[in-house]
Amino acid sequence: MMLGGKLCGYAGKILRVNLSKKKVAEEELKPELLRLYLGGTGYAARILWDELERGVDPLSPENKLIACTGPLTGTLAPCSGSIEFAFKSPLTGIFGQTRAGGGFGPRLKYAGYDFIVIEGASDKPVYLSVIDGSAEIRDASHLWGKTVHEATHMLIEEVGDPQASVACIGPGGERLIRYASIMVDYDRAAGRCGGGAVMGSKKLKAIVVNGDRGIEIAKPDEFYDAAREAISAVGRQRMGLGQFGTVGGLKGLNESGALPTKNFQTCYYEKAEKMSGEELARKYLLKRRACLACPIGCGRYVWVPAGLYITPPHEGAEYETVDMLGVQSMMGSLEPLIRADYLCNTYGIDTISAGNVIAFAIEAYERGLITDEDTGGLKLRWGDADACLNLLEMIIERRGIGDLLAEGVKRAAEKIGRGAEDFACHGKGLEVPAHDTRGTSKSFAIQYAIGNPRGACHIEPLWAGMWDFSGSGLGLRELGLPWPPPSRFEEVGVRRGEACRLLWLYGELASILGICRFSMQGGEDEILTPARLSRLVSTLTGWELSPRDLLVISDRAYTLKRCFNVREGVSRKDDKLPKRLMEPLATGPTKGQKVENLDAMLDEAYEALGWDKMTGKPKRDKLRELGLDDVAEVIWGA
Amino acid sequence: MCELACSYRHFRVINPARSRIRVVRLPQEPVDSPIYCIQCGLCIGACPFGALSRDLKTGTVKVSFEKCTGCGMCVHVCPYGAASRDPESRKALICDLCDGDPECAKICPEGVLLYLDPDDAAAYKRIAFSRLQRKEVTPLKPDAR
Repeated sequence: MMLGGKLCGYAGKILRVNLSKKKVAEEELKPELLRLYLGGTGYAARILWDELERGVDPLSPENKLIACTGPLTGTLAPCSGSIEFAFKSPLTGIFGQTRAGGGFGPRLKYAGYDFIVIEGASDKPVYLSVIDGSAEIRDASHLWGKTVHEATHMLIEEVGDPQASVACIGPGGERLIRYASIMVDYDRAAGRCGGGAVMGSKKLKAIVVNGDRGIEIAKPDEFYDAAREAISAVGRQRMGLGQFGTVGGLKGLNESGALPTKNFQTCYYEKAEKMSGEELARKYLLKRRACLACPIGCGRYVWVPAGLYITPPHEGAEYETVDMLGVQSMMGSLEPLIRADYLCNTYGIDTISAGNVIAFAIEAYERGLITDEDTGGLKLRWGDADACLNLLEMIIERRGIGDLLAEGVKRAAEKIGRGAEDFACHGKGLEVPAHDTRGTSKSFAIQYAIGNPRGACHIEPLWAGMWDFSGSGLGLRELGLPWPPPSRFEEVGVRRGEACRLLWLYGELASILGICRFSMQGGEDEILTPARLSRLVSTLTGWELSPRDLLVISDRAYTLKRCFNVREGVSRKDDKLPKRLMEPLATGPTKGQKVENLDAMLDEAYEALGWDKMTGKPKRDKLRELGLDDVAEVIWGA
Repeated sequence: MCELACSYRHFRVINPARSRIRVVRLPQEPVDSPIYCIQCGLCIGACPFGALSRDLKTGTVKVSFEKCTGCGMCVHVCPYGAASRDPESRKALICDLCDGDPECAKICPEGVLLYLDPDDAAAYKRIAFSRLQRKEVTPLKPDAR
């Protein structure tokens, strides 16, 4: 719906920036495309599908980076302080998307744009300033080489607006570390898939946004009521996620035998108590911090005030980081972990990938696949926090073996060879995060193999354990979610594929609408169920969209992303798990659990998704049903 | 969230730049602070056009849109930065406590913003004041390495 010449819920414009030609241009959003994709990574996937040629080198000027928001971003919908970046990933070579919280997404909309499409590459370092609807490419040679914290601070001084929001890369992105992150508002990371390396390859140091433009609402009173209701629902999570942060779940996961440890050899860690959210709150937490419009506040503003691992205050130490950087390598204490997290943030690399790579390197060293000669004399052992920090610094500086590890675990394992691939945990090149295929839920086996278009990911489209591990219906039962859920260890014949599909389509809505997934994970009374989302979107945009309509839209976006990957050569043979994630767990409550029937589970999922079981391509009929006839022609031939 | 609710209440649009309450976050320190008008009335005397007056019903500072010229004198004298200028109309933006029913206090999920009668307010203020004393024993920044 249009109000005052403006689309309700949107800023209404795309900013197109060509760094090669040093040109910026504005485009109107296409309402007909919005009705099909709504926004966010769905709309961006369409742009990338249309504009990227097959086989483009992700680090070349031909790749494009799209900063995207959704209609709910920056409105009063809870947890709407969200920004997504979509691009072709240098880590995986397929569709890449990565998300951060903070205030960047909302402020981009207040500046007057829903999307920024960045094309080409600059010959010298630049940054992009987007303030109040005017965009400018500016010199950034004085910022090149600076850390994220330094650069962000300098940029805010430079544009003279303390409320401006900055998305920038650190030296990690400049050095094209393949899992470099884009850091938003100092410490919020769009970490996965190497968006930072894409920015680095384009010599784009940062994007600064702010503005005083508003977002129109189609039905203000109805929207406000819906938002108030949704805020109070999602606010119930404050006692859980808000109190101890995401890491608050660490102890519980450990007791359930679902805490990946020692490079996924086991899912139980004896010293979990020392790495828990409670311990963090007792000793290192200065304050909780929330993103814009969030009633939960899971952010941990932490520091290490003194000692060997002294670390300045920053937002960090969330569950994934604690597990991947701390528990996987068995650091046994939060202090070196907080320091490692800070280094990752300020140098701009992904904590999940970095942790995975470090654990992999320790295991390779233990097996004699890498030697003292490779590491420059550094002895890598489980539980040696100082060695981990040293190795992390080597990766950041691309020094010695760090240069190889900066390429990601897949490339490192291929180079090392001699069986290293068996314990290199990645899905399509993306390092496996801290939820396990055997210990947490068998749904993760399917999710890491095919669930996410970007590779092995726990939270996009949705944390797959919500169904069987947590036992939440997510408001999807009336939409066909199999109920009651089976035991989390059962593999086939329990409609796991169907359930995963619904969870994914529901989760996909987060990146389309521009909200945080934590507002969509939990009991039905404390999340944005499809019914709540439908009410919010309908009253905001003025388009009547039922929960079912929303799922069709997310199906379209989700399927299109798969098609993007198919065009890049992905097929069923790539939908697999590393050997390590199928092997029996060594210790703990889930000892002996393994993945036995991956193929059968995948068959169920392909069936549910409407994908061809032989090739892994979405079927022609399925694509037609979604109105993707042109895509079908490319995938299947005319 | 309070900023968004404020702009919705007064302009029926989502735009923090048009909010009368603004949250300040200090990135290097553990401070997130909502800055709002305490209705001290300094600006009333400073306004060269007589556009500001005391609302007798709510006790708040009232802006006359007809008389306000957008000169910014109220912004100049406000010690807290609580008075600002609306980016669209260019007129003074000063909290009116939503006619005695402030939207920001209703929506604040953390219960930080409270709108209370004086008896309850005093108790909360004592607690808030006691908290201030804590900072003196807790160093805010670690020694630089």
